Amino acid sequence: MSMQREAWAVLILLLIAAGAVYAHATTTTEEYSRHNTGWNGTSTLAAEEIHTLAGLPAGATLLILAPDKPFTQEEVGYLLAFLDGGGKIILADKDGAANTLLADLGSRIRIQPGNLSSLDRDHADPRLFRVRVTGNATLVAGIETLLVNHPAEVTGGEPLLETSPLTWDDTDGDGRVSAGETFGRRAVCAKESNLTVLGDPSLFINAMLPENPGFIENHPVLIDAVHSRTGTTNPVINTLTWIRETPPAGAAIAALAILPVAYLFGRKRE
Amino acid sequence: MRPRASQTILVAAALAALIILAAHATTPVLYTAENISTAAHADPATIQKRSPGDAAAVVPLMDELLGETGTLALTIKLKDYESAERDLARYTELSGRFDRLVVKLDVSGTDIGEFQRKNQENLDSLTTLLDDSRRFDDLQRLEVEVRGDDDRHMAVVYEGEALRQKMREGFSAYAKREPTVTGIAQNYDVDTAPYQESVEHFAEVADAADDWREKTGGGTPPSPLSITLTPVEGYYGDTIRIAGTYAGGLPGTPVEVYVDSRLTETPTLDDEGRYACSYRIGRVLAGPHLVYTTTNGLYSEVRTFEALSGNTTLTLALAEVNQTTVACTGELRTGNRPVTGAPVLLRVDAATLIGTGTDNNGTYREEITLPAGEHTIRAEFHGAGFPLNYSESEARTFHARGEAPSPLPIIAALGALLGAGWYLRRRHQREVPERAPPETVREEEPLVEEREIPPVEVGDLPPRDAATLLFRTLRARLGIPETKTPRDCARLAPDHARFFERYEMIRYAGVLPTEEELQWMKKEARGDEHAA
Repeated sequence: MSMQREAWAVLILLLIAAGAVYAHATTTTEEYSRHNTGWNGTSTLAAEEIHTLAGLPAGATLLILAPDKPFTQEEVGYLLAFLDGGGKIILADKDGAANTLLADLGSRIRIQPGNLSSLDRDHADPRLFRVRVTGNATLVAGIETLLVNHPAEVTGGEPLLETSPLTWDDTDGDGRVSAGETFGRRAVCAKESNLTVLGDPSLFINAMLPENPGFIENHPVLIDAVHSRTGTTNPVINTLTWIRETPPAGAAIAALAILPVAYLFGRKRE
Repeated sequence: MRPRASQTILVAAALAALIILAAHATTPVLYTAENISTAAHADPATIQKRSPGDAAAVVPLMDELLGETGTLALTIKLKDYESAERDLARYTELSGRFDRLVVKLDVSGTDIGEFQRKNQENLDSLTTLLDDSRRFDDLQRLEVEVRGDDDRHMAVVYEGEALRQKMREGFSAYAKREPTVTGIAQNYDVDTAPYQESVEHFAEVADAADDWREKTGGGTPPSPLSITLTPVEGYYGDTIRIAGTYAGGLPGTPVEVYVDSRLTETPTLDDEGRYACSYRIGRVLAGPHLVYTTTNGLYSEVRTFEALSGNTTLTLALAEVNQTTVACTGELRTGNRPVTGAPVLLRVDAATLIGTGTDNNGTYREEITLPAGEHTIRAEFHGAGFPLNYSESEARTFHARGEAPSPLPIIAALGALLGAGWYLRRRHQREVPERAPPETVREEEPLVEEREIPPVEVGDLPPRDAATLLFRTLRARLGIPETKTPRDCARLAPDHARFFERYEMIRYAGVLPTEEELQWMKKEARGDEHAA
């Protein structure tokens, strides 16, 4: 009796441990990752991942989030065709990595990496502040202000989101307006036709979505999983993802799991 | 599963859990997440909610301030002095709010700080304009009344001329600021039209004074009371020599010297009709300042000196006073001169402002009580009406150790510890035989099981200890568990109830057994038939 209890206890313990190991192995802390359930991941962002830019559905909205891989000319061609066909692109970046793509798409909008800070805020962090919606776009429809998180300035195009005039580029990073730093109103989001450029991809992370109710909600988007930083370098996750997306591999794994059990049952019956 | 295997797994799992916990035990995030951020962003839920001030009010206030200049200058021009007083009060109140906001937001070194300084100068100019306009109106009325009385008429004309020159100089300074103020305001989309109108109204008031002089005293000879300033510009702490002559004046006649319409010195004429005094540039705004003298109804011409803006240096040193208090000391200087009587602000953790001031040596000292933890303190000088530029000290850090814990819990714990010790000691004394039985008792233990009569030897044991030994012997002989009390034993073995009841009295009531009683108990314990 006592042995049985111990066996059950050990079994439950092992199951809990296995669950913890699985949860640990299949999540990550990488920035913007869809597999990151922490504050800086995008696991709660309701969006469908796509792995090729060819044949994007007309009229859809494509989100390119913090891209860190270059676009080939062929891929640029797909995007241009997508835009021409009525598709919408939201390009969110704060590092300036998307400027090459913007130039290739023929856009005049550019992302200016920097250290935008504002006095018009209610957080101690000067780079965490509110911006006002100043233009019309589906992305910001029905919203008056948005809390942005270390955004970059966006120049060119029609401004959609603008900072307070008490905003400055804190070049020395001391959190104060120092010599050579000047106040001024800056755009952090602008659009040109169907292309919207957002200087703050952090708006899509798990910690920011509840801060901006109404933003991106009820607005179905496809995420470019090829170029966005929503993926992961975790080999376990990538293997599991590959198995899920490759039916023969899934079947092989299922067979590997079932066969030993069937063998054991067969021996027991004999 | 084998018990040893399962136990090993449990122990290993427990050890693994403890090792993992130990590895993270010192990580603060395990207990409270605070200021979590990466290079790309911050977790807003962990960032302290703290606004640097009502920044949203800055631009609207700038707009109101410029609006007030237009209204005030217009009411002065229309000679509606009652309304002008109200407008001036409102403008002063708004300016004060704006000054405090600039300090609170820590933007003195920006163009908004420059706007604030220029606004202070505008406020000063319009306040003076209101006073001068009112006096000018009085003079205009007086001039009509004293026509025919040459001496009094001349006095009125001289004063009018002094006022006219003062208003003209005031307008010149006011107009000079317009491009700077307008430029800054336009950066923030503030409407500058009312301010530009105020410059026009100011000009019309000054022009009206010119017109009056043309009508009344255009041919008036220069005033016999002369005035010269040497030098005509200086920095904080410099001295301006104000001198002149009044040829018709009697020696010893007092001459009143006015700087910015405020009486500052009253020198007297010497034998040759000369007067002289010095004015030290102190707490006055940077820019032009008007000086004139008067004696016996005569007014000199108006002269101007310029207070130049000087740079300042501010130091800060921290010294611990006690666990929670830090003494902030430092010095404010411009060049080699100490700045005296100047307000100094101590900004604690970029949020709290504490005011102090310099003494006659230009030094300041302020003790601040802080909560436990690391604090950053910086001293700031914001100009505050001095012809001096903004300066700040280097930021210093101070680690406040916090209040020592209250001694009451420690005293209570010590008391509880001593009480527990006393109780245990007393209990130990009572149970000495049980806790430390003599060798003979240990030898008995195997006999208990065999239910054999133990060889009881009380030897030199104290009577109560001997009784305890005999009780244990009898209990063992009867096979009663050691957990049973004397009362339990009496119930379980009624034949020996008397023995156990007697022992209960000895054990718990403090009765001391006699030698006879011990002999009887010994026999009872051994089971001698004649014991009873």
